[in-house]
Amino acid sequence: MEDWLAFARGPFFRFTFAVMVLGLLRQLVITWWGILRAHSLTADRNVSWWRAFRRTLGWLVPLRHLKQRRLYSVTSVLFHVGVIVTPVLFLGHVQLVKASTGLSWWTLPASWADILSLVTLAAVFALLVGRLGSRPARAISRPQDYALPFLLAVPFLSGYLAAHPHLNPLPYNPTLLVHMLSAGVCFLVAPFSKLSHMALVPLTQLPSELAWRFPPDYPELVVTDIGREGQPI
Amino acid sequence: MSARAAEETDAVDPQPTLDAASPRASTRRYSYYVEPQTAGDRPRRFLQVMAAVLRHSAYGYWLDLYSRVSAKCSRCADVCPVYDVTHDPRDVPCYRSELILKVYRRYFTFAGMARARLGKPWELTDAHLDEMAESVYRCTACRRCTTECPLGIDHGLLTHLMRHILTEIGLAPKALVVAVREQLEGRTRNTSAIPVAAMRDTCEFLEEELVDQLGYDGVRFPVDVEGAEYAFFPAVSDFLLEADTLMGNAAVFHATGCSWTIGSGNFDGINYGLFINDRYLRRIIRQLVAEVRRLGARKIMIGECGHASRSAKDFVPVFGGPDPPEVVNCMEWTHRMLDQGRLVLNPDVITDVVTFHDPCNIARKGWIVDQPREIIRSFCRNFVEMTPSGSENYCCGGGGGTVSIDEIRAFRTGVGGKRKADQIRATGARYVIAPCANCKKQLRELVEDHGLGEVDVVGLHDLILKAIEIPGARPAAERAAAGLQAG
Repeated sequence: MEDWLAFARGPFFRFTFAVMVLGLLRQLVITWWGILRAHSLTADRNVSWWRAFRRTLGWLVPLRHLKQRRLYSVTSVLFHVGVIVTPVLFLGHVQLVKASTGLSWWTLPASWADILSLVTLAAVFALLVGRLGSRPARAISRPQDYALPFLLAVPFLSGYLAAHPHLNPLPYNPTLLVHMLSAGVCFLVAPFSKLSHMALVPLTQLPSELAWRFPPDYPELVVTDIGREGQPI
Repeated sequence: MSARAAEETDAVDPQPTLDAASPRASTRRYSYYVEPQTAGDRPRRFLQVMAAVLRHSAYGYWLDLYSRVSAKCSRCADVCPVYDVTHDPRDVPCYRSELILKVYRRYFTFAGMARARLGKPWELTDAHLDEMAESVYRCTACRRCTTECPLGIDHGLLTHLMRHILTEIGLAPKALVVAVREQLEGRTRNTSAIPVAAMRDTCEFLEEELVDQLGYDGVRFPVDVEGAEYAFFPAVSDFLLEADTLMGNAAVFHATGCSWTIGSGNFDGINYGLFINDRYLRRIIRQLVAEVRRLGARKIMIGECGHASRSAKDFVPVFGGPDPPEVVNCMEWTHRMLDQGRLVLNPDVITDVVTFHDPCNIARKGWIVDQPREIIRSFCRNFVEMTPSGSENYCCGGGGGTVSIDEIRAFRTGVGGKRKADQIRATGARYVIAPCANCKKQLRELVEDHGLGEVDVVGLHDLILKAIEIPGARPAAERAAAGLQAG
């Protein structure tokens, strides 16, 4: 078991974390490249970067958007706060980072971390129930939309149980192993699923500013390519 | 009318209505008429066009990004006026966008191609294209969903792309194609096929009408005046249907000393390219700019028309060539003149309840939202807002070119415009001001089909014409009194 824990904490963590970071970085670079390319291709460079920035901020701090579908929106915000804040500011995680890199930062009091974990777990299942209960959401859901809530719930549940051995019916070490392996799977999945929005969100409002500014000759180049240039309408 | 009834009326009729050899041939394969299809492998041609589009534009980056981030939260369904009425999953904006994202992922990404080699791949079929063709014209391109997507997915853009590619393979509503054909290749060069002589006659008639109404001979419709500051492009249908709007425009231009002209070479601001195809969009823009250059005008003034304004404002800088002329909407001009005190409107003439419908194309991004309201408040005593309004407005239900597709009227008024009809009823307004030729047509049909009763759908300049004070002309109050007696 010790070997397994060492593996999960060591090479497995490093590998999965690297896949996530590099995968997301690659997507950021591609998207940013697309934005610059669209900007260089068009004749209309008068782009409102400020409006895109404001809209991005409006979704990162979505106070204005809470009125639409209130329960769902508030749950979604709670979920996102929990899923980001809990692992990053949890004392045990910061201690691990400090031990290996020397870096450390402010941490949550243990009771807050507990509450946030439970809130996240509750929110994840509430969102899932919301998805199942909403006709339009069911109509557009893919397998990953149902699988990811379960996947994300595992490290939170196992983490909470590992931090509260007296509540845990399972032995400590296997719980910790499940915690670390499932977190690693989340990292692995991130660049290949909708989780990639965790990195891409800052860029998502820019396309609609830029995308309508087409390259000046693109429609004609398209018909030339398919050999239909000069044909009557 | 219920959604179900509307759907039944619009049920797809597979029978060609005319002999395919006839030049007027159409088939009703979808809820709208299309021209006879070229035989051949449509999926292959679709992919060929899509590949070329991705090669020559930045669309690929957006499709890539949207494929990755889409969270399928269905918030877009909450704000879509069509879904709101039909509750049909295929009307969820995100569902519609997925129709093209799926094609992109399958044929244009490494993962999609690799997966296709490993297993039994999904293939683009005629049935998928039929679904797409039907779906993209159930959308009114109002882009409300775009503002509600947490991940910024521009569903309007993806619908625009699908319509573009479908048009390139010959799949577009006949009504829109015919209008574009006349505008770009016909003899009259405008969507309503109005000959120049008829346009000139109309202008003269409107001048005489203004003399009658104002008791003053001075307001002109200048045609082909070289070197004017503004070349004026209303929706050309205004010459046929919206005499009061045009007279209001001319009266304001006269009273404020605007240097303007109508060009006999091209006097149509309509650009259905925006709704079906970027190639047409580009050519219509270039035709517009060419006329401005011919006239030696410096700026473009668009009349009361939402899509004409947006297509000129957004796409003259994109497709208009070097040093593109500035684009102004006539309401911006009127607002500025009012602000500077150069326009006098009598606040006692319009006493009925008035409401304002925001055309999506000028309001969604907040371009023209406050200006018309300030104008209205300056002379209409009883102004009532619809809720929601401004950049969060509901579409009239005829957006995205669908208003010109007469065969889907039952869908447009029964489904697309249902929310708008409810809004109008709730205001209890006598006048619905809709500064857009397309919205006006749709709203009048809404008033009829929903039995909204004594509601007049008018342009903003129609009411301005009633209230404008021009030195030397009969005062507005006197004109109103005379109008009441005559009425």
